[in-house]
Amino acid sequence: MSIEFTWYQKEAPDGPSRQTLLLDGPGPFTIGRGSTCDIVLADTTVSRLHARVTLSGEDIEIADADTPNGTRLEGNEITKTVWPRRAKVEIGAYVIEARRPEAEGSRTTVAIPPTEGAFPPPEFDQELVSVSALKSMGLVSAEVDFLTLGGGIGSFVWVDHLRVFGVDAKNIRAIGVDPAPYGKYERLCRYSQIPVHERLRSNSISTPDNVWGFPGYASRETWRELRKGNVGGLKYVFQVFGEPALSESYTPRAGDVFQSMDKEARRIGWDQIWMPGRVMRVRKTGDGRYAVAYRVPADLAGSGPRNRVAIAKYLHVAMGYPASRYLDDLQEFKRRHPSSHRVINAYEHHDAIYDDLEASGGIVLVRGRGIVASRILQRLHEARARNKNIHVLHVMRRPIVEGKKYDLARRFAAHDIEYQPFNWPKACWGGTLRERLERADPDERLRLLGVWGGTTTADRSDWDAIITEGKREGWYRPFFGEVDHLELKDGKIVSQLASTQGFREEVRLEADYIIDCTGLIAELDANPVLADLIDTYKLARNKASGRGPEQRLSGLKVTNDFEIEGLRNGSGRAYAAGVMALNGPYAAVDSFLGLQYAALRSVDDLSAHRAPGVGGMGPIYSLMQWMKWCRGEAP
Amino acid sequence: MTPTLAGRWQTRLLLYLVVGLPVTLLYSLYLDFEGDGFYDPFVFLTTLLMVGLLLDPVYNYIQRFRWDNDWPFAFFVFFTFIEFLITLGLLNAGVLDPFLTYRIENDTALVHFSWVLFFSFVSVLAFIQVFFIRWRFKGGELGRL
Repeated sequence: MSIEFTWYQKEAPDGPSRQTLLLDGPGPFTIGRGSTCDIVLADTTVSRLHARVTLSGEDIEIADADTPNGTRLEGNEITKTVWPRRAKVEIGAYVIEARRPEAEGSRTTVAIPPTEGAFPPPEFDQELVSVSALKSMGLVSAEVDFLTLGGGIGSFVWVDHLRVFGVDAKNIRAIGVDPAPYGKYERLCRYSQIPVHERLRSNSISTPDNVWGFPGYASRETWRELRKGNVGGLKYVFQVFGEPALSESYTPRAGDVFQSMDKEARRIGWDQIWMPGRVMRVRKTGDGRYAVAYRVPADLAGSGPRNRVAIAKYLHVAMGYPASRYLDDLQEFKRRHPSSHRVINAYEHHDAIYDDLEASGGIVLVRGRGIVASRILQRLHEARARNKNIHVLHVMRRPIVEGKKYDLARRFAAHDIEYQPFNWPKACWGGTLRERLERADPDERLRLLGVWGGTTTADRSDWDAIITEGKREGWYRPFFGEVDHLELKDGKIVSQLASTQGFREEVRLEADYIIDCTGLIAELDANPVLADLIDTYKLARNKASGRGPEQRLSGLKVTNDFEIEGLRNGSGRAYAAGVMALNGPYAAVDSFLGLQYAALRSVDDLSAHRAPGVGGMGPIYSLMQWMKWCRGEAP
Repeated sequence: MTPTLAGRWQTRLLLYLVVGLPVTLLYSLYLDFEGDGFYDPFVFLTTLLMVGLLLDPVYNYIQRFRWDNDWPFAFFVFFTFIEFLITLGLLNAGVLDPFLTYRIENDTALVHFSWVLFFSFVSVLAFIQVFFIRWRFKGGELGRL
């Protein structure tokens, strides 16, 4: 008994990544990104353990390991099914085929079409689905006015606004995989070395638990300290008073933000609103609504069916960053050395690297110069306190002599890094720059976003001290250039750099580890649900910016109220939030305050269109709701 | 704060109406002026408002030199104090005399100003947001987004 697997990259079936492997025995054989898997796929959209394959009698069976990105057999999402001969399984960027060498020749296998157990049902292949048809199949599990997809912080903030504007919890549902709305965010923070006691790059009034932004996190932190009798707590409000001119900007602790959201979740009845599930497909319905096919994770489905459909009049899409993604040369390296754990994305779990470094030292090559890089350098500095034999090479694309210029202002730059307290100039959230961008045409928007955004980090004195110390003591060195390729040589990872400092020199850097800090990539097409939605309804995208990987970065075209016009269905409306709306009318979409802004705009729009239960938000009503918030009462 | 010019003007007028006038009324009652002197603090406050409205475009220009296009709270307090000093200068130069029954003493003016500034500042920090949920996204302008 054996199975022969062949796998290759979807885009290059005959490319260098094509491999064939014969595995003996009945299995189960494992497929995943983890090095202990039988078939290792180097792609960050592939889960550590992604799927299991077993021989069952004459059949090969494949089961998805409840992964966020799913497993597809001939284009259909599967949980567990028979894998017919010649049928292609897609996992991430890879296609896998399987066959049983000994069975062939002796008998002809008839390919079984994978319709049995296939979900979503064929009804979802149409542009408009019939609600009654779905009901007759017994699939409809929820029928509500408001439905948000993602279940993360973007969904939570939108639901919070709806609740405060007067909508009953029983008319709202949110579909997502994490019980806590900050689940994914918290993981990304933890992996990128921001544990709960560390501070986020967010402002005091960016409060995902409070639609007013008052009281902000600074005054709450001060209040807590004063109650403990610690007068030093006053420094947080003074920080807000002076920031950013006289003091460093206040930023809240990650743990405080999460706790505040837990409290608000209880207040607005989030446990009644959140439905565990992974969204599979979204369609307009024939009666001016939306149907969302989703699958409940096995451990949360109870005795009920796992495949379900939710129907709603108003849809909200806040599915977040599809995946972390390696730079192209790093991806190529991972493909050639799939078992190497020494090249890692900062947004992935990589604590073992610090353990190794603290134990035996080494050279770390850090790529990228953003806020994540700052935090990783801080963590490496902490590791150096335990082992002085740690050296850091910092590779950046090109040196920065002076900051970008806009109107009469220039951004501060030092150590070849540009600084601003947040990822956009503050006025992008609610000032002159917000107005400017909203009024600009698509070309002008791109230009403005290019000037205001880019890779920056916060001007924190501790980070500045680390780099200054590192340069002085010689354990930190910046390099500038485009990485040409990587190779593994004598146990070291060698990076070949083409210098960008005006000389045609080539630099070879040897390192034990490479940490890619170039951040998350908002490649919407990497999310199969969005890719399908964009394709089915020909949804317009915002103009893409830049070269290279940035070209793939362009959000869905939305109105100033964050409506996805291409999804309008009669009086049914769909809205986007977060990174889905990148390069649109608002710059800071992927921030707490940006999510609050998007939620407010879309809920105001719902109110203007008399969506059921959505009241206005005049001064007196607002005050009354705020007082309820203070008392912890349900809205 | 990240005010726009219209936002500065609107917020200033709002604070004049809902903070400045009531505080001035209480202060005037407290001072217990005889006869016409009751209106003198209102003249002072209105002058302070007009000085502010005239300076707002200047602030807006200064703001453009700041990368964040923002206006720290510390600036708000500092420049409000400058406005007070200008108003005090006008008072002492006799420019306001035609509107006043009695010329206001400097220390009386300072106490009056301090109360107005205190309540205005608390409003900007806290209470305006509680009533006007969209104010913070509109650079201090009122109304819908």
